[in-house]
Formats: sequence, structure tokens, C-alpha cells
Amino acid sequence: MSECAVQRDSCCREPAELKIVAFLCNWCSYAGADKAGGSALPVPPELSVVRVMCSGRVEPTLVLETLRQGADGVMVLACHPGDCHYKEGNFRALCRAELLERLVVQLGVDPVRFCFDYVSAAEGEKFSRITCEFAARLRQLPPIG
Amino acid sequence: MTMRYPRTAVILCACSGIISEKIDWTRVETLLADHPSRPLFRQDQLACGSDELDGLCRWLQEVKAERVVVAACSPREHQATFRGLLSRAGINPWFLQLVNVREQGAWVTEDAAAATLKATRLIRGALERVNRHRPLAARSIPVHTRVAVVGAGPAGMQAALTLARAGREVVLIEKEPMIGGLPVRYDELFPNLECGPCLLEPVMGELLHGPESEQVTLLTLSEVTAVKGSFGNWILSVRQKPRFVDVEACIGCMICQEVCPERRQNGWNRAGELAAIGVPFAGALPNLPHLDTASCRKFRGEPCEICSAECPVEGALDFEAQERELELEVGAIVLATGAEERPTLPAGFAGRDLMSAYSFERLIATNGATGGDLVKADGSAPVSLVLVQCAGSLDAGHTPYCSGVCCREALKLAHLAAAKVEGLTVTRLIKEQSVPGLEAGRQLHNDHAAVVRYGRFDALSLEEGPAGRVLKTGEGTEVPADMVVFLNPVLPGAGTAQVAELLELPRDGAGFLGQLHTLAESCAAPLRGVYLAGSCRGPGDVREAFATGTAAAGLALSALVPGRDLVIEPEVATVRPEACAGCRTCLKLCPYRAIEWDDAARMARVNDLLCRGCGTCVAGCPSAAIDGLGFTRDMLRAEIKGVLS
Ligand code: FES
Repeated sequence: MSECAVQRDSCCREPAELKIVAFLCNWCSYAGADKAGGSALPVPPELSVVRVMCSGRVEPTLVLETLRQGADGVMVLACHPGDCHYKEGNFRALCRAELLERLVVQLGVDPVRFCFDYVSAAEGEKFSRITCEFAARLRQLPPIG
Repeated sequence: MTMRYPRTAVILCACSGIISEKIDWTRVETLLADHPSRPLFRQDQLACGSDELDGLCRWLQEVKAERVVVAACSPREHQATFRGLLSRAGINPWFLQLVNVREQGAWVTEDAAAATLKATRLIRGALERVNRHRPLAARSIPVHTRVAVVGAGPAGMQAALTLARAGREVVLIEKEPMIGGLPVRYDELFPNLECGPCLLEPVMGELLHGPESEQVTLLTLSEVTAVKGSFGNWILSVRQKPRFVDVEACIGCMICQEVCPERRQNGWNRAGELAAIGVPFAGALPNLPHLDTASCRKFRGEPCEICSAECPVEGALDFEAQERELELEVGAIVLATGAEERPTLPAGFAGRDLMSAYSFERLIATNGATGGDLVKADGSAPVSLVLVQCAGSLDAGHTPYCSGVCCREALKLAHLAAAKVEGLTVTRLIKEQSVPGLEAGRQLHNDHAAVVRYGRFDALSLEEGPAGRVLKTGEGTEVPADMVVFLNPVLPGAGTAQVAELLELPRDGAGFLGQLHTLAESCAAPLRGVYLAGSCRGPGDVREAFATGTAAAGLALSALVPGRDLVIEPEVATVRPEACAGCRTCLKLCPYRAIEWDDAARMARVNDLLCRGCGTCVAGCPSAAIDGLGFTRDMLRAEIKGVLS
């Protein structure tokens, strides 16, 4: 919790200015986000969660469109490798994330604005930490667009 | 562009103060008042409470709500509750959007003003999204409760019996002329040296003659040749080779076998001979001979009908019998197609008295070629025996894995061999040794064999020495080797490969059938309505065969219940025919084989019975021709627009 507070102190933009969209798979990451709530861990208030059934549902264009719509950053969070409720959706998501990381650079977007990671249903703490860190990194960047 | 928004009701739950201590619902109402959907708000103390639900139901009807947004707790908790509320209020349950403002709002946000703004944003997303919702409905279809079990080894028999005991109709399909699988051919089983036939005969007897046999249709000499359909409604094509014996008329006296003048190799014993008509070994069940057309004189055009002349039952032999093609309608399939041993010798090995563990088991079996005597090809007893373990296992050039069952087998064989030939020198050659468990530990403790470690399988060699034949390891150790038995790795059986291909089931790196989940769902295939039992799942022993046979039957029983239709959830993928370019990318993406190619329409089609709604195909379709109901592109984009505006 303190880590997040420190990062927020060092930020150069007001929290409300930031817009973050996080695609969470229903089975692990979304449950992990709920777990963060159950443990009263901080999550950046600028983060809007969009629930999907599996990280494999998130196509690269959806991420790009979200950035174009004005999001400062987009996260795709998945079950850990081997844990996807649909067997291999997270593997597809990983492949698409790798593609996206290269693609956004071509489009002149700082790759820092995109984050792919794994959060299990038990990892409330990790969800809190990576969302806070992501927000802190985004605050260092100028507004998008 | 103006669009008509449906009349949207928004329920703001205080969760008995837990949410409202952070989120100011009145402020949220103010902030959203000018949303073009002109939402109708209602604050509630505890929306999930049963009294409150009654009140909410009346209110939704009064305001004639067409869409409902509930800002409360996680959908993982109360989505079903609120879908039920919509149903009761006469609204399609899929016109609901839940906003998680408790776990992902009030509880994770320190600052009340920030929490209020966040809730506002999320509800704005929901208002946009719910407007794009389409009415959906679960559909239900009747199912067959009959189950096909493929493979009549211990696992398949146990599955069939368990199903039959529950009153289910079962079709048990076996490619061999007899049932019982491999262990029925072993004289003694690990760990207690129980005799294989003694363990399995009661099971086989119950299947063939017990009260449950009424429910069981046994098809021997049969193979599945095609599979159509899906969970609940499979159609199996089965080809049954003729036995040339009328199973109803035959009394199993085996006079035909005695009088037959022709001989063939006994493949089941991998040694000795067998009459052209007969059973592979004494005690094989069902107790019916079968005729081998390749060796039978009559089928070779010679004038021989000795067997039918001597048969005491008229018409029991039927030389005119034809191959049968059957079509079976079943709801579920249990695969118990087993594993096999592929005899492998080290490079350059040749000579007498070299055999695999299976051949050795049959050699020392009382119903085997020598009546249970442990003798060499020349009929004399061996003076020394080498059991080569890990024979091709843990070897990049052969099989990389450890089968996990051969060490126990070797301990058993060492013990049995020593008991058969007095003074026999037994050596176990090992690479590694894996003998977990109490019983195996006891056997290891009582083992008198010399143990020699070796490195490479292909570096083993045979040499004739002054004191007889020796086996030399690559490291230079020599052991007396009058007879050598190789414990080869356990590999997937030919039947396993065949069903995998027919059902397009994934296989693991070794070729065994892939499981829905290796820990939690190891007896279910990734294809719905297909269950796995025994060593088609991977190397295993008799105990595991029985356990997984029971487990697979349990899964089939709970999936298909008489009188209970199959409910198909509507949140599945669907293909827009006009947009499908026919690239077939989705067919490969789907982890459940739920997408089929419709050749006539030149497009992909989703089978909603098999689709689990993960959306991988939706994301992967290059033409955006597939959409995921309940999570359509349109809905997600609207939600994103809402939370970002
Ligand atoms: S369900 Fe979590 S990544 Fe697929």
C-alpha cells in the first residue's frame, strides 16, 4: 500500500485526468481483482475494468481502439499459463500481446501504455501492485493523442 | 446521430452502507442525470435481499424498464440473482448489466470522491453497453442417456458395469475377440501377486451374465469407424468383423479347436501356435471360439469342414457370416482404449531368448504356450535372467519419459522367475528406479536380484563368453544373460491413436489422450461428452484403470440424466454468414472443436452445444465475422466508450 502511495506522490498528473482500461478474464484475473477488494488493497481509481470471459477474447484492434478513444493505458490480464479456464486462451492472448507491443510502436504509441500480465484468483496483492505501478508509469507520460 | 435509448432502470445498492459509505449515490444520480438514456434511478439498501427483490420487481414493472443496470457487488456473486429478478419482472434476463462497485470500487478506493467518480464512469459504461444487449435465451434439447464404452479392458469394463448398475444402457465395444484387456493375460498382478484372471473374472462374469448384463450390449471384434454429432447426441459407426460362430447357439465346448487340423501363430501369446478356430488362451471370455480366415483351410479354398462336422450344435458355425456395419446413438462416449508395449531391442541386438515383458508374462502364465514353465526356446530352463528396465525410456533417441509402472513390474517378474527356476541368477538393469508406495517398498525390500545401473540403452551389447552369454553395459559391466527381458516404455495403444483421430482429440507429447484438465478433470476429454478411463490417458496400472473407469462412468452419469434435457447457454459464438470469408482460421483456434466447416454454404458454423463462449475465435477472426453473444464487439466498444467519456 505504501509503495503505491509513494508512487502517487511522485506523479506529475492528477489521478482523475488519467484513463485506464483493464480487460480482465472472468475466471482468474477478475476474481483476483475482487480479491484485492476483499483485502482492501488499493487500486487506482482511474482504472475501469472491462470483464471478458477469457483474455483470448481481446483482439488487438480492441486494444488499439481503446487507446484511440482516449485511454492513457490498456491492460490485458489473464490466468497464469496453463490455468486458462478455456485451456489456451491466455496463450493466444500472449501471442496477440507480443504482436501489439511491436504494433503500437509503429503507430507512435509508447509501448509502456500497454500491459499484458497474469493474475490468478488468489493474487489480489499482485493485481493491486501491477495496477498501481502501471498508473504510476502512465503518469510520467504526457497525455495521449 | 441520435438514437433511441431503451428505457433503462438503474439500481444503486448501498449494500447496507458498505458501498454507500464510499460512494455518494445521490451525486452519481446528478452526474448521470443528463445521460441520453435518461436513466431511471432507484437507491436500495440491500438489493439482493428477498424483500427488496420483491419491491424491485414491482418497481421495474411500474417504470416499464426495458434494460436494467445494477450497481452493486461482483457479478461472480449475484449475477444469477439479478437475472432472476429480471425474469420475474418479465424482462429478458440478458438485458442486465451488473456494475461491480463494491469489490472493485468502494473497497479499493481510499478517497470517497474518487470512488464516486469511478462508480459514475463504470455505470456510464454499463448504460452504453446494456443498450446494445440483445435478448437471449437458453435452449434445451433432449439427449440420449445410453453410453458407448470403447475398450473392454479393466477400465472399460469397470466403466460399463458402473453405468449398468445405475440402470444405464451401455454398448461396450472391443476390437479383440475377448474382453479383459492385458491384465487378464497375466498370471499374477502387482503387488499381492493376485492372479489376473481371478481378479477380473467376477467383473467379466457380471458383465456377461450378471443382472446388469441386461443393460450391456457387448460388441467384440468391433471397431469405431466414424463419429458424428456432439454431446448428448453422438452417432457412432461401428464395424464388427464376423466371428463365424453364432454367439447364441455356441456352447463353448471348443471341440472345433481340438479337431482343427490347421495351425497359426498365437499372436496373443507371442509364442506357440493356435488352431485356425479357437480361443487365444484357456479362460478367455466370452467363451466363444473365433475363426481366422487367413489360416482356415476352407477359406483358403480347400475342402475342409472338420470343425462344423464335429460341432455338437447344429448351426453354431456359420461360414457365411458377414462383416456388420452398425450405427449407434449414444449421449456420451467413454474411451478406454488403453496402452501397449512396443517391443524394442537395443541397436544391433539379435539372438535367442530375448523378449519383451509382455511375452515373458505370457511365457510364465499357466495358460500360456508352455503351461507356465519358464523355459528357453530350446526347452531348457535358463540359468540366468536379466530384466532390462528403462528399456528405451528416459532416452532422447527412444522414449523420453518414465512410464512409472515398469519398476514394479520388474520387481514382480524377478520374484516370479526366481520362484520358478531354482538357482536362477536374476539381474535387474536400471537407469533410474521409481518405486513409490508402501507395497512397492516392501517388494523392493524383499528383492534378491542383483541391481546394475546402466547409461545408454543402445550401448548395451551381447557377447558369448566362456561361461555362457553375457550382457555388457556401455560402462563395461558384464552380467550373465541366458535370457533377457526388456521392460519397454508404455505407449499409447493403436486403438487410442485411432479414436483420437476419429474424434479429433488432442494428444499429449507422448500420444496419450489430452485431458480437459490434467489435475481436476483428468477423466474428461476436452471434447464435451467424451470421458477417459485407464491408460489411454497415460501409463497406469490396474488400480488406476479401475479407479478411472469408475470416475469416467460417474462423469457420464452426472452429465446425462434421464429426463433432464441439455441446457445450452446462449452466450456462445456465432458466425455472420455474409461476413465469413471461409479462411477457416477459427476452426484451428477453437479449443473445443466447436466450429465446423459447412462445405455446402462455404462458411464456418459454431455448434452451440460445444461452444463454451471463451471468445478466442471472435478475437481471431480476420473478417470480424464471428461475434460472441453476451460479449459482442458492439457491447464491448460501447462499454469502453462509456467509461472513457
Ligand atoms: S479464462 Fe483466464 S485467460 Fe482464459
